[in-house]
Amino acid sequence: METLDIELPRMALLYGLCLVPWLLLWLVGLRLSRDIGISILRMSIQLALVGIYLKMLFDLNQPWLNGLWILVMLLVADLSILRRAGLKARYFVLATFIAIALSILFSTAYLVVLVIQPAHYYDARYIVPLAGMILGNCLQGNVIALERFYSALRKNENEYATFLMLGASRWEAVRPYFRDAVKAAINPTIAGMATMGLVSLPGMMTGQILGGSEPWLAVKYQIAIMICIFTSTTLACIINLRLSLNTAFNAFDVLRDEVIKKP
Amino acid sequence: MLPIIRFDHVSVSVYEKTILSDISFSLFPGQKAVLCGKSGSGKSSVLRALLGLHPITSGTVYFQEQPLSSSSVQAIRSHTSYIGQEPMLGAETVREALLLPFQFKTHRGHRPTEAQLIEVLHRLQLSSDILSRESNRVSGGEKQRIALARGLLLGKKLYLLDEVTSALDAQSKQVVFDVFSDPNLTVLSVAHDPEWLELCDTIFELEAGRLTQVKRNGNT
Repeated sequence: METLDIELPRMALLYGLCLVPWLLLWLVGLRLSRDIGISILRMSIQLALVGIYLKMLFDLNQPWLNGLWILVMLLVADLSILRRAGLKARYFVLATFIAIALSILFSTAYLVVLVIQPAHYYDARYIVPLAGMILGNCLQGNVIALERFYSALRKNENEYATFLMLGASRWEAVRPYFRDAVKAAINPTIAGMATMGLVSLPGMMTGQILGGSEPWLAVKYQIAIMICIFTSTTLACIINLRLSLNTAFNAFDVLRDEVIKKP
Repeated sequence: MLPIIRFDHVSVSVYEKTILSDISFSLFPGQKAVLCGKSGSGKSSVLRALLGLHPITSGTVYFQEQPLSSSSVQAIRSHTSYIGQEPMLGAETVREALLLPFQFKTHRGHRPTEAQLIEVLHRLQLSSDILSRESNRVSGGEKQRIALARGLLLGKKLYLLDEVTSALDAQSKQVVFDVFSDPNLTVLSVAHDPEWLELCDTIFELEAGRLTQVKRNGNT
């Protein structure tokens, strides 16, 4: 079964659909034309570029090139996590990179090498989209974990100092905020798994079905990706928070003010 | 006798602003000292510097003649009880707050018995019913006495008190005075309360981050 192509005139017709929300927003007094226009343009250009490089990656299918691409994705995700969490990159870039690299490589390798078992473990058709999907979800979790953890520490500065005064080590004193941050980071994934298939059909599964896969095969891949997302998000958040403690505090266990970006 | 605390030409800057300048003094075991001065004179900063919560820009703070460092700071903190104006109890109920420090490795294995909890509460004129109360439902004065109870349960000998009698009525204040009349307890406090000043044997006057006067038993 082959997926039906959308020719350019019909793509133009598709963009025309955006006129409906644009008109409605305009009628309710929301002047978002510029934002909407930029977002649609960016999406189209970015995805077109993704299409070009994925085609190139799939055609060449070289292990070093696939690895290089994953490295680029990791670096971009690293900086994006820190920017969105309001932390200065120079203090946390290494901790975040180690955390996401270890967790993504572990879950992707586990999935590809042990579970899917393609003819070549480096096959771009498997590792690039799977690592990308896992990383995208892992990114959200790490933003939540870091943002929650450091905001809670700043908000509860006196409570944290009280724990230290009562004889807690740095790790013992931060543990309540650490647990809350990890919980907040993985909760969306846990909730997502619990409602998967009931509330909506997951994107990857829909894509596979549209691409001609049997629904049962698409279901198996969806389960696989969700388990990997859950594993890598949990791993990355815990490693990231734990490693970040080394640079976020001074020698006397006081949170360094300079590591947080000023709003 | 060796001092328990010694500030040797200590200066502290926060956000490039000098808040303590060239402070030197010693505190000996059993001494009761109070830091006095106008708001912003640096009284609380002396306590915070001793606990490693403010970066020291020059000079050295000594605790039992050991310089304050990243390796000694936890020892200082675990020997000291710091009680502020509105102490953080750090737990949901009063019982959990009293037992909180015993969860930490330093104090694990010294968890007090129920009888010891009740005894210390009675000593501070707190009813044992307070144990099951939520921490956010106790008054400021009760919080101060619960924080003090926590120090007593830990067997602390050095107390850093920041306006500790500010929320206490006359009766509760007397209870606190009685606790600190113990010659084995050393106190470095921040206070304005004239009755507290009378209890202390040494008064350090601070002005704009500088130590300007040391009074002992009413003599300069």
